[in-house]
Amino acid sequence: MATGYADVRDEVVDVCDGRLRLHVKVAGDGPPVVFFHPLPGLEWQPLLDRLAERYTVYAPEHPGTSPDNPQAIREVHTFWELLLAYEEALRALGLKRPAVVGMSFGGMIAADLAASFPDALSRLVLLSPIGLWRDDAPIRLVEMVTGPPEELPTYLFKYPESEAAQALMALPDDPDQVPVAIAQGAWNVGCTTKFAWPIADHGLARRLHRIAVPTLVLWGRDDALVPVVYAEEFGGRITGSRVELLDDCGHAMQADQPAQMVTAITEFLA
Amino acid sequence: MKVSVFEQLPYRHLPAGFEDRYSSVVTTPYFDVVEPERMQESLQSGYAELLHAARAGFDGVCLTEHSQSVYDISPNPNLMAAAVAYATRAEGLDVALTILGRSLGKSREPLKVAEEYALLDCITGGRLIAGFPVGLSYDANQNGAIPAIETRERYAEHRELILKAWAAREPFAWNGRFEKYGQVNLWPRPIQQPHPPIWIPGSGSPGTLLDILRRDYAFVYLSWSGPKLVGRQVFDRYWELADKEGRDRNPYRLAFLQVVAVSETDARAEKEYAAHLESHYRTGLGTVPPSGFAVPGYAERAGIEHMVRNPGELGMFPKMRHITYKEIVDTQVAIVGSPATVADQIEAFVREFRIGNLLVMLQNGSMPRELTEKNISLFASEVLPKLRPIWDEEGWENHWWPRGAEMPRAVAGAAAGGEA
Repeated sequence: MATGYADVRDEVVDVCDGRLRLHVKVAGDGPPVVFFHPLPGLEWQPLLDRLAERYTVYAPEHPGTSPDNPQAIREVHTFWELLLAYEEALRALGLKRPAVVGMSFGGMIAADLAASFPDALSRLVLLSPIGLWRDDAPIRLVEMVTGPPEELPTYLFKYPESEAAQALMALPDDPDQVPVAIAQGAWNVGCTTKFAWPIADHGLARRLHRIAVPTLVLWGRDDALVPVVYAEEFGGRITGSRVELLDDCGHAMQADQPAQMVTAITEFLA
Repeated sequence: MKVSVFEQLPYRHLPAGFEDRYSSVVTTPYFDVVEPERMQESLQSGYAELLHAARAGFDGVCLTEHSQSVYDISPNPNLMAAAVAYATRAEGLDVALTILGRSLGKSREPLKVAEEYALLDCITGGRLIAGFPVGLSYDANQNGAIPAIETRERYAEHRELILKAWAAREPFAWNGRFEKYGQVNLWPRPIQQPHPPIWIPGSGSPGTLLDILRRDYAFVYLSWSGPKLVGRQVFDRYWELADKEGRDRNPYRLAFLQVVAVSETDARAEKEYAAHLESHYRTGLGTVPPSGFAVPGYAERAGIEHMVRNPGELGMFPKMRHITYKEIVDTQVAIVGSPATVADQIEAFVREFRIGNLLVMLQNGSMPRELTEKNISLFASEVLPKLRPIWDEEGWENHWWPRGAEMPRAVAGAAAGGEA
């Protein structure tokens, strides 16, 4: 894993009556913040370094995406079981009402955890989450996943040529590691899309009203994957939530507007 | 050996330059490329050609399933199979009917597959071969919307359910992960009990081959990517695994699909078939987007890494969008020529790889009905008689052939030769 931060450690948590071992990357010191990663898997990104300066960051790896056990995904049959596994993991880690940040696919998990277990967290940050569906604003997840690789940046970035975007798309320098990275990347998407295919709608719209914690909904105005209209869909359903839209920003806000994203999140959590 | 005709149902009148503008599956714009009358003609020809093959003396006819594709408009092969089943029965043609088949990774109603196959086995008098494919990724995961990572788990459960439903003496409950039924009690049941012969098409991964051998099914390999390029390693692996699993090297454990085009001379064959063969690959598999064969999650992580490290195992696939006739024949992606040329080439690899059940694909791409029927007739009269006795001297029994289709076919074959 590429990381600029010195002290990221790996903790394991056994859940689901011992059938599932979750890997959780942990860094920093302070009150707990849990981060749920997007579809491609956990990439330790500058946002997490920044959060680790003030908080203890807990970033679980989605079942099956940890390199040591690709078959762990087989232990989680349904999206409900995935939520239960994470709720159990929070308790097993001793996290009492952590703040939770979810990005894209991870945003759907974070939102549904907050809706399903209203007392499990203290604050919620949703970064262009999937999880809802409007026929007039289709989320182009199937098109992105099955489309030609060269078109992938057009779904994710307002500025595909930026250094940050290029870094997110980069393959390893070591040629021998390229097939490993390609295979792990494809498998990760297989593991996450299991709960998002072909339409990531598990009825979240009918549960969002249960969310009872301060919530920030953050979205790029130029999101080509999950259109910005969904910001108001989430905001309107979550009582007291705050919606912030980022200008000149596509779906992958960590690449298009990293500074604005980090500022919005850290100010909200403070 | 047994020789069957395999037929896909392509739309035969795709516009020129199709391969440079479209994909052949999932997203192809129907109304932009299809003239309705010509769709009717394309499909009607497919039915007629299969019956022609049954009359010409082939041992069996074979169909498969693809949705949302230009190269095989066969959303449920059992629809066409029912018509062929009735017609062949009415004419006293005891051909095997091979469905290669309903995709069990894609199916959302596996008991319907069980019922349909059972019905076909009944109305043919026990002439069904039941194919159980996982299904191509684009078909299962894009058309069928099955999460890719669940494709094989669904396949395994569905196959178990179907086998139990065919043979159970009492109604039973099924509490599966994907399917739940309170009372399963199929009507009708297959005539061939406990089940018709089962053939499993696959690309030859060790896991699939082991499953086939342990269950004593037959393996079907489709030669699209060129038997010269990738056949050897797949067949060697199969027979080596058979040895390890304590299975004999009975050639009827192996079925092989080969594209063939035969005419009076080699030169005439090239003249008649070259453009149609090119269209078949260019507008069919050649224009399936690469992701259509492996939506993320469809292939295991280790399998993807293996493929990325060994691109040669994809054979001709990466070149198919603009494949040339020369490449097609040089790699034996198709075998083309006079009856002698074709028979010699087929016999050589059949003996080398120990293939007992041969499927030949004689209609390809834009090929019209008259030419297809000529191909069928010439193959039946000039090539088939040379192939049929190949394994006779070794004396193997074909346990993977339907019991209702065991009549000798030589007489009908001789009669069909004059139709060319």
